[in-house]
Amino acid sequence: MGIPHLSRRQFVAGGAAALTAAAAGPRPAAAQARRGEIIAGLSERMLTLDPANHYSISSTSVLRHVYDPLVDVTNDDKFVPALAESWRATSNTAWRFTLRRGVSFHDGTPFTADSVVFTLKRVRDNTKLIKSFVYQDIEDVQKDGDYAVTVTTKRPFGSLPAHLTMLGMLPPGAGANEDAFFTKPVGSGPFRFVSWTHGDHVELAANPKYWKAGIPKVDKLTVRFIPELSTRVSALRAGEIHVIDRVWPDMVQTLRATPGVKVLDTPAIEAQRWHFQLARDSVKDPRVRKAVSLAIDRNVIIKDLLLGYARPVVCPVPPGLLGHTNLGQKPYDPEKARQLLKQAGATNLTLDFVLMKDLYPKQLEIAQAVAAMLGDVGIKVNIRNLEIATAREQRTAGNYDLFFSGWAQMPHDPDWYFGQWFTKAGAEKLTRFSDPRVEQLIAEGRVPDPKVRQQKYEEIDRLLWEDEPEIWPYYTVAIYAISDKLRNFEARRDYYVLLHEVGIA
Amino acid sequence: MFVVLRVIPGDPAKMLLPEGAPQSAVDELNRHLGLREPLWVQYGIFLRSVARGDFGQSFQYRSPALRVVVERVPATIQLATTAMLLTVLAGVSLGVVAAVRAGTAWDYAGTVLAVLGQSLPNFWLGIMLILLFGVTLRWLPTSGFQGWTYLVLPSVTLAAFPTALVARLTRSSLLEILGQEYIRTGRAKGLGERAVVLRHALKNATIPLLTVLGLQIGTLLGGAVITESIFAWPGMGKLVVDAIFFRDFPVVQTILILSATIFVVINLVVDLLYTVLDPRIRYG
Repeated sequence: MGIPHLSRRQFVAGGAAALTAAAAGPRPAAAQARRGEIIAGLSERMLTLDPANHYSISSTSVLRHVYDPLVDVTNDDKFVPALAESWRATSNTAWRFTLRRGVSFHDGTPFTADSVVFTLKRVRDNTKLIKSFVYQDIEDVQKDGDYAVTVTTKRPFGSLPAHLTMLGMLPPGAGANEDAFFTKPVGSGPFRFVSWTHGDHVELAANPKYWKAGIPKVDKLTVRFIPELSTRVSALRAGEIHVIDRVWPDMVQTLRATPGVKVLDTPAIEAQRWHFQLARDSVKDPRVRKAVSLAIDRNVIIKDLLLGYARPVVCPVPPGLLGHTNLGQKPYDPEKARQLLKQAGATNLTLDFVLMKDLYPKQLEIAQAVAAMLGDVGIKVNIRNLEIATAREQRTAGNYDLFFSGWAQMPHDPDWYFGQWFTKAGAEKLTRFSDPRVEQLIAEGRVPDPKVRQQKYEEIDRLLWEDEPEIWPYYTVAIYAISDKLRNFEARRDYYVLLHEVGIA
Repeated sequence: MFVVLRVIPGDPAKMLLPEGAPQSAVDELNRHLGLREPLWVQYGIFLRSVARGDFGQSFQYRSPALRVVVERVPATIQLATTAMLLTVLAGVSLGVVAAVRAGTAWDYAGTVLAVLGQSLPNFWLGIMLILLFGVTLRWLPTSGFQGWTYLVLPSVTLAAFPTALVARLTRSSLLEILGQEYIRTGRAKGLGERAVVLRHALKNATIPLLTVLGLQIGTLLGGAVITESIFAWPGMGKLVVDAIFFRDFPVVQTILILSATIFVVINLVVDLLYTVLDPRIRYG
């Protein structure tokens, strides 16, 4: 290799550049490493830029890059510091959060206790906000200096830190003109908001002053909204985008066969749960519900219809989460099912099985298989595949025997699930479940102490497992497909597409 | 429509809130959305607001419904206009060739294309075009709305049906006109075949075409739901379907008012164009 020839002008220019670089000092390694653009294709359209005004997975996947929560949750369900450095319960009805110092919002406003007080009081008091109902138990939010906050609650609220993983912190100035703020929002997250073309895409740019060193790994993040799965898959296969979510099992083979594409899957925090309308004479008798459960061959559903992309259920709460305990798989025993039906006097039983159209992968095929299985033990099933809004109305009116549904255990905590579906007030217009023992345990499980909560929830699990107010057919598996250019992508159990620490080759 | 939207089953608040939201939250949100008022009060408020140009707040987007709809108009107009241009160019050309060369291989080929265009379902054609030109050849983007190249596949998909319709209509109208006496007179005068067909015959064949095109463009502007879904095109068609699905009444109402207005205006323009093309209507 020869020595390159330099003209005098090039030599002088090069020397000047070297001197400038030396004078500026060493650049942070993160800034040097940050490069490129990631384009994600998500299955749902985003509806809002307000982190308190949605429970949408797609919106969270976008907004979690713009706003930071106080508490974060890892993919193995550990609650870890984000804008709160630490937190602890000071009593059964009070939480104290110590805040991170040196954090700024994208406009330079420092993050302090005022932000937390504003964000929490806003979500509690503005009952128009979609997340408001979760925070109605907050009594008061008091700051203690600039970097500590105490939240007092009307009753024990052990899942508060978990819920806070889903609430991005806002600068207090947002309150002056919320409409204007949420058209060009300012957070403290790893990316700054740039633009939103409604129904099409959102553009974000790296926040070079992000408090977490070395993050983000790319200069730009674009999120496209592509609800149609085949189109999402095509865009990935054509190399237009780098990651897609909500892949159905029957698309996996095509994707795996595509050069440059990888398929990743992980057990989700979601259990399918088909609930009974417990006030209906048809399924009031626990023996009938048990018979239905015994007549369903869950392994056939998992292996043949979901192609192995599901897991057998061993507890209403999926593994890894607080409240999980292994109770063993529900057996498939059609003979015993027939006996139970006979004992219960349930001859010529007909069940209305209501589905929310196109909501879950392969749901119609699964329902048809279940109808055939129940038919084998003498139960006739009417499948009613209804538009979602209509199906929910039918449920409120109580016009169903069995309802096809799933429950993602957001926010990685079972309190919401139990509180909504297994208390009299919560289930009144849903399943009509009512059991004072379970209700008492749910109330006792709301305390902050995780050991107490685990014990109470295990008791609830056992009672429900025995009573079978629902059929738990399988735990869902979350499937993603990515370009092999992505580095460090993690398939999340909660269906979020989070790209803070993801780089691109 | 106002009443129909409100009497069909489905609760807007339930669609906005997560499945596990308590009934108290559902009731509270419906109160904020103004849905706890009696129907006649809601209707009165709606009429008064519309008279002032206020179409209400979108339940889903929490911003003015008119703004939500108008944001989708450019994408819809781009797609509809391009598809309509393709329809006119390809449909009329195919129809003219088939009529002029009636009974030849050109005619049969045109007929086959027209039958295919009318019988292939949009969703199938769209997916095939994506797989061929987007995934395999990588000549064109598969989906989205970011430049003229993104328009090609959706507009071809959308134009397939009306092109076939226009081609068949042009062929039959032109064949009928080409058999008339004034055409024979033109030829006897020594006019070239090109002048006979394009200047004398086609002009008269345009009148029934115009009616069909007017109806088609109204339909295209109203939204092309399937094409928009397949190509992730952010137009009004997908918006109205989502709005119905989520029971976003203000957005549905705004789109219906806007679509009806567009439809009426286009039909008026078509009626006026008749007078330009046919002096008998002008002086009749």
